[in-house]
Amino acid sequence: MNAIHPAPREALAQHDNPLALQGIEFVEYATARPQTLGQSLEKLGFQPVARHRSREVLLYRQGDMNIIVNAHRDPDEPALPDTAELTAVALRVRDAGKAYRRVLELGAWGLPTKVEVMELNIPAIHGVGNSRLYFVDRCGDFSIYDVDFIPIPGVDTRPDAAGGLRFFGLVQYIGPERMGDWIAFYSELFGFRELPADHHFGVLSRGCILASPCGRLHWQLVEPAADAWLDVAGDEYLERLAFACADVQATVAQLVRRGVDFARPAVAPEDASLGALTTPSDSGPTFELVRDPR
Amino acid sequence: MHRYTSPVRASAHIADFGLDTITLAGPLEGKLAAARNGGFSQIMLAARDIVGHPQGMEAAVAAVRASGLRVTGFQVLRDFEGLSGHLHDYKVDIAKQMIGMASALDARVLLACSSTSAHASGERAALVRDLRKLAMLALPHGIRVAYEALSWGRHVNEVDAAWSLVEEADYPNLGLGVDSYHIFATNTPLGVLDDIDPEKIFLVQLADFMWQETRTPEERIETARHFRVFPGEGVHSQALATLVRRLDALGYRGDYSFEVFNDDYQQLPLPCVAERAHASALWLAEEVLRRGVPLPGTPRLRTAA
Repeated sequence: MNAIHPAPREALAQHDNPLALQGIEFVEYATARPQTLGQSLEKLGFQPVARHRSREVLLYRQGDMNIIVNAHRDPDEPALPDTAELTAVALRVRDAGKAYRRVLELGAWGLPTKVEVMELNIPAIHGVGNSRLYFVDRCGDFSIYDVDFIPIPGVDTRPDAAGGLRFFGLVQYIGPERMGDWIAFYSELFGFRELPADHHFGVLSRGCILASPCGRLHWQLVEPAADAWLDVAGDEYLERLAFACADVQATVAQLVRRGVDFARPAVAPEDASLGALTTPSDSGPTFELVRDPR
Repeated sequence: MHRYTSPVRASAHIADFGLDTITLAGPLEGKLAAARNGGFSQIMLAARDIVGHPQGMEAAVAAVRASGLRVTGFQVLRDFEGLSGHLHDYKVDIAKQMIGMASALDARVLLACSSTSAHASGERAALVRDLRKLAMLALPHGIRVAYEALSWGRHVNEVDAAWSLVEEADYPNLGLGVDSYHIFATNTPLGVLDDIDPEKIFLVQLADFMWQETRTPEERIETARHFRVFPGEGVHSQALATLVRRLDALGYRGDYSFEVFNDDYQQLPLPCVAERAHASALWLAEEVLRRGVPLPGTPRLRTAA
């Protein structure tokens, strides 16, 4: 890399944000019922904008958010789940190769990616459960989608975000006594920091919230409730995706008009302005809205 | 596969003591049955139990699950830390395989022994970095790494040296494996245990042996691999009792595994070996730790007559 700005500030930023993380490039769901999930996403304001060249994969977009709906399965792989599962989060970094090599040095598990000819080899590591974390450094004018996806004809490929929605972060369920481990995972590999215990966003005030060094991404770790020990199998997975908006109640009202169902808040009315949870009638995944007046 | 018709019924006051498959002769299923019938509820497994199973790894994993025994831990990753270049990459691959097997077995602890390799660096920063990396490799799988000082380790051969690295590495799933044999073999004063955070002791392995002293590393290796006996059977029983009481007083509440390498036990009937182990567990629980004996009427296994 050319050292155009060899200023001390640059070195400091490197230290705080070791991968030069810049938020989420895309989130991927796997499902055997891609149309059902697609309908849920469209109600939330996403538009299908492109199709994968070789697989049954659709790209949905609104504003700066990309969601990939993956219904592709190789014949030797287990069946896809009916209810969509969060299977990957792609992180925007300055240099994907560098980022990948750095986290492998620290003990992350690199995962082989299956690419067809002329497709991009996007580096990935093992995340929680069966999920993957990708590193992407091609954003903006020439993106990863320009290589692997074909635009759907006649569609606006850059639809605006409904109500100014943007990615807020992920909620991850973890096993008992695993909080320390997962905090170490995200802080060691990506430079996330733990927010103070009284710092909470959204609908669930349990667990611990980690903030990315770029400030654009939050990762909430949630342990099983103390009284849930009987049915805890220790499963760990990405539970849901959260969107940020400036005014939760106004956004809820707007989305209700579009046909999105919301869970009756179990929280006090004054907390209803902090967050809301969707309840898709079609057994799709749940999404969370979080107030973030950024 | 062996079918078990009753649940594991080990007496609660010895529930934290376990057998180790390396003590027992024969196939995995026989070892599992011997541990159950001998009154134990957990067993320490070695990689060769799994990979050496004649029906393959999946059958071995199924046998362990069917036994109802809890897996104390999985052993052993050797010579991981301090290597560089292609040797380091090779060991990372081995570690991943070990972690994969431990995960399949629901083992929550992977035992990693201090390096004996002549190629291993003793540079502290390198050792700490490698231990952190090993812990990160194990982390997504929910596995904790217990780092143990082998008494013939090249750079780390005493428990306080291992603890100092673990403490500096400061990783939530990296802790210490304490092995009584190695502590006695190097005459390490037990006072060093007082500096250890009991929460960071992930496994304690206990064994006695018949010699008063082991003077050279060669003698330590020979004794460690062939002449260990169960706690209370050798000449270091009082020292073992002191060690266990000290760990208990320190606040250690994890498992005690009997790591007894003994050529004679390898050619004795399994129930006989399990009975000796059970007697040892009772000695530790009732006489050393002075735990209450179960009340009449509460389930308690008799040892095989």
